[in-house]
Amino acid sequence: MPDSTVLLPTNNRPANTGSSMNDDASRLDGIAKVTGAAKYGRDVYVPNSLFVAFVRCPWGVGELVSSNRDAAMKVPGVLDVELTKKEGQYHGATVGHMIAESPAALSRGMSELACRWKRREAKTRLAEEIGEEPPIGEAAAAALAKGSKRLEADYSTEVQTHSSLETHGVSIDFKSDSAVVYASTQGTFSVRDGLDERLKLKRSQYEVVCEYVGGGFGSKLGGAGKEGITAAMIAAKYNRPVYLFCNRAEEHLDTGNRPGSRTRVRIGFNDDGTIVGGEIRTWGSVGPNKSGGGCNVPSGRYNLGDTKKAHEDVALNAGMPRAFRAPGHPQGSFAEEMMLDEVAFACGLDPLALRLKLIRSDAIKEMASLGARQIGWDNRRPTGSQKGVVRRGMGMGITSWGRFPAAVEAEVVINQDGSIEARTGTQDIGTGQRTMVGIVTSSTLGVSLDAVTVRIGRSTLPEGPGSGGSVTAVNSAPAFIAAAEDAKRKMLEALTQRMNAEPGELDIADGVIRRGERNAVQWKDACAMLGNAITGKGVNNRATVDADKTTGNSGGAQFVDLEVDTETGVIAVRRIVAVQACGRVVSRKLAESQIIGGVIQGLSYALFEDRLLDRVTGAMVNPNLEWYKIAGPCDMPRIEPILWTKDGTGARPLGEPPTIPTSGAIACALFNALGTPVRSLPLTPDKVLTALGSGERA
Amino acid sequence: MPSPSDSIDPANGVSRRSFMQTLGASAAAASITSSAQALEQRPSLKREPGVEGPGPIDIVLDVNGQPRRLRVEPSTTLLEALRLQIGLTGTKEICDRGSCGGCCVILDGKLVNACMMFAADAAGAKLTTVEGLASGGALQPVQEAFIRHDALQCGYCTPGFLVASAWLLKETPKPSLDQIKKALSGNICRCGTYTNVFNAVLEASGQPVLIDPILS
Repeated sequence: MPDSTVLLPTNNRPANTGSSMNDDASRLDGIAKVTGAAKYGRDVYVPNSLFVAFVRCPWGVGELVSSNRDAAMKVPGVLDVELTKKEGQYHGATVGHMIAESPAALSRGMSELACRWKRREAKTRLAEEIGEEPPIGEAAAAALAKGSKRLEADYSTEVQTHSSLETHGVSIDFKSDSAVVYASTQGTFSVRDGLDERLKLKRSQYEVVCEYVGGGFGSKLGGAGKEGITAAMIAAKYNRPVYLFCNRAEEHLDTGNRPGSRTRVRIGFNDDGTIVGGEIRTWGSVGPNKSGGGCNVPSGRYNLGDTKKAHEDVALNAGMPRAFRAPGHPQGSFAEEMMLDEVAFACGLDPLALRLKLIRSDAIKEMASLGARQIGWDNRRPTGSQKGVVRRGMGMGITSWGRFPAAVEAEVVINQDGSIEARTGTQDIGTGQRTMVGIVTSSTLGVSLDAVTVRIGRSTLPEGPGSGGSVTAVNSAPAFIAAAEDAKRKMLEALTQRMNAEPGELDIADGVIRRGERNAVQWKDACAMLGNAITGKGVNNRATVDADKTTGNSGGAQFVDLEVDTETGVIAVRRIVAVQACGRVVSRKLAESQIIGGVIQGLSYALFEDRLLDRVTGAMVNPNLEWYKIAGPCDMPRIEPILWTKDGTGARPLGEPPTIPTSGAIACALFNALGTPVRSLPLTPDKVLTALGSGERA
Repeated sequence: MPSPSDSIDPANGVSRRSFMQTLGASAAAASITSSAQALEQRPSLKREPGVEGPGPIDIVLDVNGQPRRLRVEPSTTLLEALRLQIGLTGTKEICDRGSCGGCCVILDGKLVNACMMFAADAAGAKLTTVEGLASGGALQPVQEAFIRHDALQCGYCTPGFLVASAWLLKETPKPSLDQIKKALSGNICRCGTYTNVFNAVLEASGQPVLIDPILS
């Protein structure tokens, strides 16, 4: 029997139709995106633009010995070369920039510049830079000793680059007393905030526009960035439009990444799987500035007894980390889920049974049981029991995410011509913010979705948050409900007067003004009766969030079914079931897309993604999309998102949580198939074969 | 498990069939063409061999049925000409070296990456970009299916996927799931829309979309 609080995948939902605010709505920007009409920042070529490129360090540590500025300046079309630094501390570090009239002039100028670099020794390996490990703490040692068994293991993950398909940058349409900044950003307003001094304009004189953004995943948070700042300064200096976007290599090298990690687990546990305690020590591989390497384990999702945590960031000569979809979590989740599977194996326990004992949240326990039924966990074979060439494995992982408050101002405008506008400056980076705003507004107002025009992604619109921390939908939805209710109340008040109706007699349903039980006035005629346009306002802030009891944290559980070829070491993931707490689903299709997308990124992280640094030079050897491998169509399993709507009537954060447990669940499934753990991501064939070799010798 | 002729999905009007049956059919299907294979078949060059440049040259590109007269540097790629000179920015620059499919266009019936050829080499050929897929304001079924199945998130890879999908459906009107995966294997999506893309292409070719067993 389908459970009415669970929404099965879209193509299989006979019993659940109508369970979200809008089951069938498609993205409002779908037509723009399938016809090529959608203009991203990188698509805006303003006539007479200057083109700018950064001069970058080619080595892990490089000293700029000489360059031929004069030759570069002689190239027709090159306007200026500015070299501001003498040294770079990572491959891709900027030491200056060149300005030219065209991309072609820029590339000729760059080759004429002929920078000569002296290469110095670079730190490229996390394992080698960790240094002397401090001894285990006294309390942790005591807890460790209390268990009847112990696990000592090292887990590691490699650096993942965001690889947004639209690279970082801006196109600035600069006129002497005004400017429009077309930015590829996750924070319309944070870009605005950083540019007034650079553009030498007042905030009222320029607008930041990002109606379409080609991905970001965390890397486009935090202001205009060096791309925006440099372009703005050049625009003001030359009084001309400027176009500055990174190329693919620069995007890998210098726009952030998910740091690598090492997790050293020393825990004691009893024969029944109870974790007594011990120590989990983590290290994060970061850039030369030594920050941002968080690795979130223990996550707090499991009862791990008296387990102490310690963390240290380790500096490397490599591009610096930035927030990446659930920062610190996939790394930590991989280590934690693998650790639990190894404990279960040592105790002869089913890993699901062990988790059901250790998971702190009752809701996540229910989701885990549901996911296990959906994947067919009963068919899972005991770990290490298979001897064939191709072996099957099942694994699982869980997730959780907090609900973070953010300030949102929302406006719903009803015009006398019958048009309706929902307005907020917050951008849509692919999450579906635009559509979510439209659905919430239309259903609150009582009109159809296509009656509402959504205006987003402009700094001249009401202020909203950046797309980080999964905050946009959960904080924007209440603001737009309030704004639409305000607009509706004002409209009905005005109409009550004009129609000589009793207070409370009028209502709006299906885009028609209702008077008691009957349809009284069509929408357009009603709007024509209004003396002026109506503006409904709504806000969301810390106080409204604290007062709202309908929403809360998010949780989930994922299950993986895979095959591994023990002769080649190649893994083929067959199925992934993702149960995700969603609260009240605004848009069914878009909610599912967030989950599917998170799972696919997690799969790609688990199996393929690896920023490779040359040990000698410190250069990244795969700053492209053929050797930095991202999962493609042929790597896809069947993915079954299950929306869990049991816990509350408010929206829940959905962007980040689905990508957290996927890699750990895949690694656990691999352990189940092989009988020997692979403790290092990505799970490449060489590691699988090495693990098999050492496992079979043991 | 539902039977092949079973219920109609009220959302999209497509009859349901089991995933396994779809898979079975695809396993039996014959030759598979991939975008990678197609790219190896170089389009026939319409111009006589000779020396061009070093100065700018005049060419005419036939883009979406419209002649476009351009003066380009000989080294200008087709992608640069489309985006910077003609202003057709639907075709995306993502990797700029033929490994992502973001700049897929159809050139004389072949699927090519516009970043991997010179604009001058495309002169005289018939080009279709994402902007040319819809004709007379009407979307192609595959474009409508992309929207209906939410086969796009940020939308930056979408033009490439759509052009490759439209090309596939012309070459292979009823592709199997396996053929769809292989045909799109030259395209990368970072948001993670692949499975919805498969459904969109299946639906656009009049075939049942992927479904899952009912939870009991």
